[in-house]
Amino acid sequence: MSPYLGIPVPRLNDDKFLRGTCRYVDDIELPGMLSAAIVRSPVAHGLLRGLDRSAAREVDLVLGPEEVRERTGSVPVAWHLPMQRQLERPLIDERVRFVGEPIGVVVARSPYLAEDGVDAIVPDIEELPSVADIHSALAPDAPLLYPRWGTNVVIELETGDEADTTDVVFADADHVLRCTMRTGRLAGAPMECRGIVAVPDPGTGRITIYTSTQAPHMVKDQVSQILKIPHHSIRVVAPDVGGGFGVKDHIYEDELLVCLAALDVGRPVKWVEDRRESLTVTAQARDEEWDVEVAFDRSGRLRGIRVHGRRNSGAYLSIFGGGPLATTGSTLPGPYRWEAVRLTGQVIVTNTTPTGAYRGFGQPQAVYIRERAVEMVARELLMDPVELRALNMIRPEELPFTTRTHLNYDSGDYPAALRRAADIIRSAPEPPEDGRIRGVGFSSYVESSGVGPTAGSRIVGVQVASYETAIVSMANDGSVRVRVGTCSHGQGHETTFAQLAAEQIGTTPDRISLVHPDTETAPYSPYGTAASRSVALAGGAIVRAAGRLADKLRAIAGELLEASADDIVLQDGEAIVAGTERRVPIAAVAAAGLRGWPVPSGISPGLEESYVHDPDNLTFSYATHACQVAVDPETGLVEIERFVVVHDCGVIVNPMIVEGQIHGGVAQGIGGALMEEVIHSEDGQPLTGTFMDYLIPTTGTIPDFHIEHIETPAPHIPGGMKGMGEGGTIGAPAAVANAIAAALPEVADRLTRTPVTPDLLWHLLQD
Amino acid sequence: MTEARRIRLTVNGRPREVEVEPRTLLSDVLRHHLGLTGTHVGCEQGSCGSCTILFDGAPARSCLVLAPQAEGAHIETVEGLAGPEAEAIRRAMHEAHALQCGFCTAGIVVSLVSALRDGIGQDEAAEQVLGGHLCRCTGYVNIRKAITAAWKQGANP
Repeated sequence: MSPYLGIPVPRLNDDKFLRGTCRYVDDIELPGMLSAAIVRSPVAHGLLRGLDRSAAREVDLVLGPEEVRERTGSVPVAWHLPMQRQLERPLIDERVRFVGEPIGVVVARSPYLAEDGVDAIVPDIEELPSVADIHSALAPDAPLLYPRWGTNVVIELETGDEADTTDVVFADADHVLRCTMRTGRLAGAPMECRGIVAVPDPGTGRITIYTSTQAPHMVKDQVSQILKIPHHSIRVVAPDVGGGFGVKDHIYEDELLVCLAALDVGRPVKWVEDRRESLTVTAQARDEEWDVEVAFDRSGRLRGIRVHGRRNSGAYLSIFGGGPLATTGSTLPGPYRWEAVRLTGQVIVTNTTPTGAYRGFGQPQAVYIRERAVEMVARELLMDPVELRALNMIRPEELPFTTRTHLNYDSGDYPAALRRAADIIRSAPEPPEDGRIRGVGFSSYVESSGVGPTAGSRIVGVQVASYETAIVSMANDGSVRVRVGTCSHGQGHETTFAQLAAEQIGTTPDRISLVHPDTETAPYSPYGTAASRSVALAGGAIVRAAGRLADKLRAIAGELLEASADDIVLQDGEAIVAGTERRVPIAAVAAAGLRGWPVPSGISPGLEESYVHDPDNLTFSYATHACQVAVDPETGLVEIERFVVVHDCGVIVNPMIVEGQIHGGVAQGIGGALMEEVIHSEDGQPLTGTFMDYLIPTTGTIPDFHIEHIETPAPHIPGGMKGMGEGGTIGAPAAVANAIAAALPEVADRLTRTPVTPDLLWHLLQD
Repeated sequence: MTEARRIRLTVNGRPREVEVEPRTLLSDVLRHHLGLTGTHVGCEQGSCGSCTILFDGAPARSCLVLAPQAEGAHIETVEGLAGPEAEAIRRAMHEAHALQCGFCTAGIVVSLVSALRDGIGQDEAAEQVLGGHLCRCTGYVNIRKAITAAWKQGANP
């Protein structure tokens, strides 16, 4: 057994957070620094004429639409689907298309004065009729956001089986279940809002950017392209980042405007988003409606699934465009055998906040649609939903398995997770007689994680490099630095990545430090930390790079100890000739390697090794979630009483951190299932701009969890890890909704939207 | 801009003086005028609890306090928290993996240290005190574990 892997090493970087010595972007103070505030559109749709800035006093700079347009290129969409009408757009367009859209920037001596300046500016906008929801946008006489398209549909998508082959399967099946489902609009809502400190160096033309991001290299790529600054003049640093969840996977217009302003004033400029901006302007998610059909036989055999989705993209395509809808399509089969899987969909522009990446990225929708439908089928057939799933589930001996959507599932035992989760939740003690109604629901899924191999990105149209590189180097004292391009913001990479390197080098994790995310030192990684990819991609790269360094250390130690490199074992900070007492501290080996002698001939001096990791396939984690709810029929209030997760994310580096990711992921899934929803009024005004309107779970909402691990290595990843950052959020909403449906069979067929608020449930129960 | 006003207060045991506009939030005084950036601002709406400090010994949201209201007050921030209760909370949160991104952590540490000092019961700490804080990363499960551990230790020092 390994001394460093699979054990709950406490996090190496907690102390600074517990003592307040951490440093987020708003904690950075620089001499001469000014503050920025963003001028935003007060209306949902209109022609932007300009800004009346005559009343803005005590400000150092105002940049409006004209000045910005002169100096900026277009903002690209980084995911290209076949029938896509938007591949780029101006930073500030001739018209505004959502409330809060940035149309200028003000710089002043303090954030208070900058906000005063924004208040004094009067935007000159000729208001136009607007559309705030999918149906209004699709109406024949709907106002068009982009008149030259002749439609508000920006992407038309078709994936999976052809229409005619799908029709054949549906015609042959005994029954077809049909319903329409809806997933409410969500906000990622990290506790730290977005922010930036842009530091120009007028002497050299360089700019250093400190920003709260998941992907410093993506920020650098975008700044270079959009602001037309050469790459070698840009440095991007992510300081401590207070959560991302997908919404910080790229740079926004706001931060780009701040960079322009800083270059103009020649001094550092800081901008930090406030919560109202965060809940109304930062990219949102989900907001989709689905026509769902499932073909099945009397025996319980699932034959086909055919869905048509309508996704509200908001005012424009954000960086990953229609990617969430495409991902819903590819992950729709889940853990079941189907004869036909077909998704068609439309991505629709409306005068609302743009939607983009949020934990799960299209997969929670696939799971919600499929797993709700599967339990509806079970109810129709009077079958146990667990048995129905088991009957249709891909068995371990069928793996590897290619889905109808061309995913190549790697390894695992899907039915084992289902059975175990069912056993645990069904062995719960009898609940008390308190007038509330209990129900148990399930959700099984296969998570497309470890995004992604370059070949896969190319096939699906992702324009962003998706391999990962690790550089591992040892210093004279035997301490180790690990450099990767992914960016830890709560996931504990400082600890898990140190454990992975420690395992190879035979030294303790506390002797290994992960270098802070900084484009000057980190290898290129525009994808950054997203898509449950860090441990599989960057972690796998570390295993290989650290392995190469270990090979070199063994060779040098062999020279020092007059033994064959093959006989050297690296262990507890020493190099030992196996089976003997001959040993030398790693520091002595390091000193020799860095000095350049004595090293064996054919070995170059220096102790730095790297590895570019571009695996053959995604990784496929999986789980079954089981949930027990208690519903108060008088109020519609739902309490989550028990929540079980039996999952497999391949080799587990640190079970404590894995469980922490599951806790937080499930909590976000529960939030989306029961209480979270971004709402815009009919004229596009955001109505949920505070945490008193947009409700995220508090401790009272979230029960303790029962988590069990299955550990099947990913066969194609060095170290065997699979991604797991999003699984909790992917699986939980369907399990919660299914539990409520099981508790209230009389309304089960109408429980087809999230969130299931007390208000919604109470009204369903009254009808 | 209104005229700046001189405010005197004691922060972490040290007398301090700042000159700020009356509209300045106490959270901004602490963070940007006194350099105590351990107090984090998560909403400026009084909802999230990240900016919690001790105001004359009681937990308060520093984003809901205007600087002049702090005239003469004794303020304690996460940087100043010391003593057995503070170390017990920190150790328990570390060992239970009760923090991830760390942004909400300082406010939670302040509230829990205050609760432990004031002899508030474990259940009340886990439900009411923690219930006043928003955390988006942990799902609260491990924070409750940390409370259990710290309170157990608090009872048997």
